Amino acid sequence: MKTRSKTIFLLIAAACLIVWSIVTIIPLYWMLVGSVQDSAATASFRPSMLPEAFSFAPYERFFAKTAAWRWLLNSLFISSVLTITNVFFASLAGYAFAKLKFPGSNAIFWVLLSTMMIPAQVTLIPLYILIVNVFNLGDSYTAIILPTAITVGNIFLMKQYMSSLPTSLIHAARIDACSEFGIFWKVILPLAKPGLAVLAIFTFVASWNEFFWPFLITNSTEMRTIQVGLASFVFAESTDFGAIMAGASVGALPMLILFFSLQRYFLQGITIGAVKG
Amino acid sequence: MARVEFRNVRKQFDDQNKQTFTAVAGSDFVINDKEFVVFVGPSGCGKTTSLRMIAGLEQQTSGDIVIGERIVNNLHPKDRDIAMVFQDYALYPHMTIRENLSFGLKNLKKPKAYIEQKVQEAASILGLDDMLERKPRELSGGQRQRVALGRAIVRDPQVFLFDEPLSNLDAKLRIQMRVELGELHKRLGATIVYVTHDQVEAMTLGERIVVMNKGVIQQVASPTELYANPRNMFVAGFIGSPAMNFIDARVEEERIRIDGAEFVLSQDAAEGLKSYNGREIILGIRPEHIYGEDFAPGVSTEHQMQAHIKVVEHLGSENLVYFRIGSRTVTAKVHPETKAYSNLSKQFIFDLNKARYFDPATEERIDW
Amino acid sequence: MTTIAPNRVRSSAGRLWREYGWAYLFILAPVLLFLVFTLYPVVSALIMSFQQYNIMNSTWIGFDNYERLFQDATFWKSMRNTVIFTVCTVPVNIIITFVLSYLIYQMKTKWQTFFKATLYLPAVASGVTISIVWLAIFDPTNVGLLNRFLEWFGLDPVIWLGQSKTALFSLILMNWLGSHGAGIILYLASMGGVPKSLYEAADIDHASGWTKFTRITWPLLKPTTLYLLVTGVITSFQVFISVYMMTQGGPNFATTTIAYLIYQTAFQFYEFGLASAQSFVLAFLIILVSVIQFKYFSSDVEY
Repeated sequence: MKTRSKTIFLLIAAACLIVWSIVTIIPLYWMLVGSVQDSAATASFRPSMLPEAFSFAPYERFFAKTAAWRWLLNSLFISSVLTITNVFFASLAGYAFAKLKFPGSNAIFWVLLSTMMIPAQVTLIPLYILIVNVFNLGDSYTAIILPTAITVGNIFLMKQYMSSLPTSLIHAARIDACSEFGIFWKVILPLAKPGLAVLAIFTFVASWNEFFWPFLITNSTEMRTIQVGLASFVFAESTDFGAIMAGASVGALPMLILFFSLQRYFLQGITIGAVKG
Repeated sequence: MARVEFRNVRKQFDDQNKQTFTAVAGSDFVINDKEFVVFVGPSGCGKTTSLRMIAGLEQQTSGDIVIGERIVNNLHPKDRDIAMVFQDYALYPHMTIRENLSFGLKNLKKPKAYIEQKVQEAASILGLDDMLERKPRELSGGQRQRVALGRAIVRDPQVFLFDEPLSNLDAKLRIQMRVELGELHKRLGATIVYVTHDQVEAMTLGERIVVMNKGVIQQVASPTELYANPRNMFVAGFIGSPAMNFIDARVEEERIRIDGAEFVLSQDAAEGLKSYNGREIILGIRPEHIYGEDFAPGVSTEHQMQAHIKVVEHLGSENLVYFRIGSRTVTAKVHPETKAYSNLSKQFIFDLNKARYFDPATEERIDW
Repeated sequence: MTTIAPNRVRSSAGRLWREYGWAYLFILAPVLLFLVFTLYPVVSALIMSFQQYNIMNSTWIGFDNYERLFQDATFWKSMRNTVIFTVCTVPVNIIITFVLSYLIYQMKTKWQTFFKATLYLPAVASGVTISIVWLAIFDPTNVGLLNRFLEWFGLDPVIWLGQSKTALFSLILMNWLGSHGAGIILYLASMGGVPKSLYEAADIDHASGWTKFTRITWPLLKPTTLYLLVTGVITSFQVFISVYMMTQGGPNFATTTIAYLIYQTAFQFYEFGLASAQSFVLAFLIILVSVIQFKYFSSDVEY
């Protein structure tokens, strides 16, 4: 009896999960399907849930009407640089905070951490003035990259991660005549690879998807990231459903592909540093 | 090879609550060239901190540390000419065994041929020849232990430092490695400083033993000396298993009184305890120096007392008999043919020539 | 004794540098960036919030900006919208997340991975992409997926985003149906961390399924719930992209959130002083709510 009610419960649970999964996935599915139907841009067009009238014309229109290739390149470049700077500097600082008990380390760390509570809106205006008027960097890669080149959140994650590495290895390396940077580079980094991979992936995705700061700091079409460009395109072309969906797909597809190829890191990585730590 | 000397070395830490904690309180000792010295004591006694100060991984708060002819206070670990074997081996998991062994020499910019030769030598000493291309995780615990040793050997250091190197091995392997370590010491002819909390390891390996407690050196002596003549109750209780029995006693002229029984002291002892006449002392006697009256070959039967046996443990080669004297439980390690079982009232013989006496206030041994 | 003359333990500056110089070097870059791009802006924004800001010459006007914003009906409306949005999304999202996690936890490992991945998927798409797609889903003409769904059941089409009655609700609905993958993964991780022996002990004590849930599962997952609650509130207090992309705060300020209002004040009306004041009110709120949540929840979180 017990096993039977258990089976029924499992079936209902599975059914609920499948329904909710469909609801969750439908917007993305619809986007992809919509991006390969030739809508002919008429107001009476009703996009189908199935890829009827299959065509890449919406993509062609999207790329023809915009500087999307340039935007993609910008996004790729900016996200890559941000990933490298964040992974390198956050792990270096995280290592220092976790393993090198230097005077003031706790105080400095807590000052850094406490500012994470302050919402981005507070620093936005002075940051904008600083970059545009003081440093004269408006509408440049540097302007987009610099403020988030090393985020406190990433330092925090890396500190948590580095704390779990065995200290005796650091001591062994010190006795093995390794320089302090050598210890980080030759011993700690190879050991921390799984953590670094997760940090790199999440930083890359977050940078790719970032909208507000690049939107604020860029003026020219050529400097836009794909997200900023996409938003501007939607506001300019409110009627061409196919092209809009194609654009949305272009903005999301690289990350979807990344997700499918590195699923394991995404699904396990979230738990690093979160909760209790 | 070289000697190691501590001159009034202190180490204090500030803990999280800004409380100052003294890990090592003014240590003074000399470890001679080619000597195997073991630091032993309960956890938190300062033995590991002492070792790490020799290594240069911790800096002393005050005092001087000498290695060879140099004061090394401000020298980086790499310049101290030492090598260290860690409790968890601390092998670099991403490097092969060969890379693990050669990492230090490479950092010291030694010539390639020299490194190659050193690695081969160490590998053949330790029987690691077939494993050089493997990663540490593919090795068993004992093999990893050997690699950790090898990493120290290739450095040809003046002093080897061992931080509880055997504590992660299972009992059987530990005994085997203990023997090998002893042999290795003879072969290398090196100065070795070895830290352990295991007194058996200390007794079997050390030429001299440094017993520490709460940051203070209790006694520095050879194993036999330590066992026979512990300087205070801490050392007496820490060295030897089962531990030495401490029995409350009272000196009365040339006798001592123990819970109703009365023993006549030897002339020496009576002379030595003169100043304690009429006062409480503590009698320390090791379990193997208490005999059942039915099996005490070659022991003077002069000092006997009746006791009520509580528990008997049969270990095969010997029996452990527990009984009470006053408020203390006393353990006797007796021959297995001794008749003993729970609730038996039995006559026990105390070999008082082997007993030691302690001052209850200072816990120091009373000397004469 | 051939030992050289005593070489005292090196003191203060030199020793600090020798022992810790590298450590300071390792944190130098982030600390510099922090000083320039976080600390300076925060201080600067605070000063600005007491000024009539002008690039050339700003004038000190005391609490005028704060007085102004507290008398501003739009500000209060945006506060109301933000609070409604937060109250409607965060707790519901946590419940959805929890239920889904609980159901997934009953499945075999292979299926767990499948559902985790599927439910996480939309989280990797950007806010802009998601907003664009939902804009189309809410479309009041024949394109709109939601109205077509209603049509199926014979219901009249709704102008989801175009009327103040439904606009904010539409954004909330979209949030409910978004990805809860991250939370699910955290919950599943902590569910896996609850010792099995606790449930076995409860079974021996004849505890019902509900008792086991309220006495074991829920209390032990409290740290995760607290984490989701705090991060959820912080994020939803700052909701911006969907508002900007889908409604521009309209119609009639029905979806103007504080974050959007700050953006408008600063970068459409160029009232930097007023916008700074608004941002400090937001910061104050966020910190206050986080502290309250920690106080209220964490008292019995430890186990």
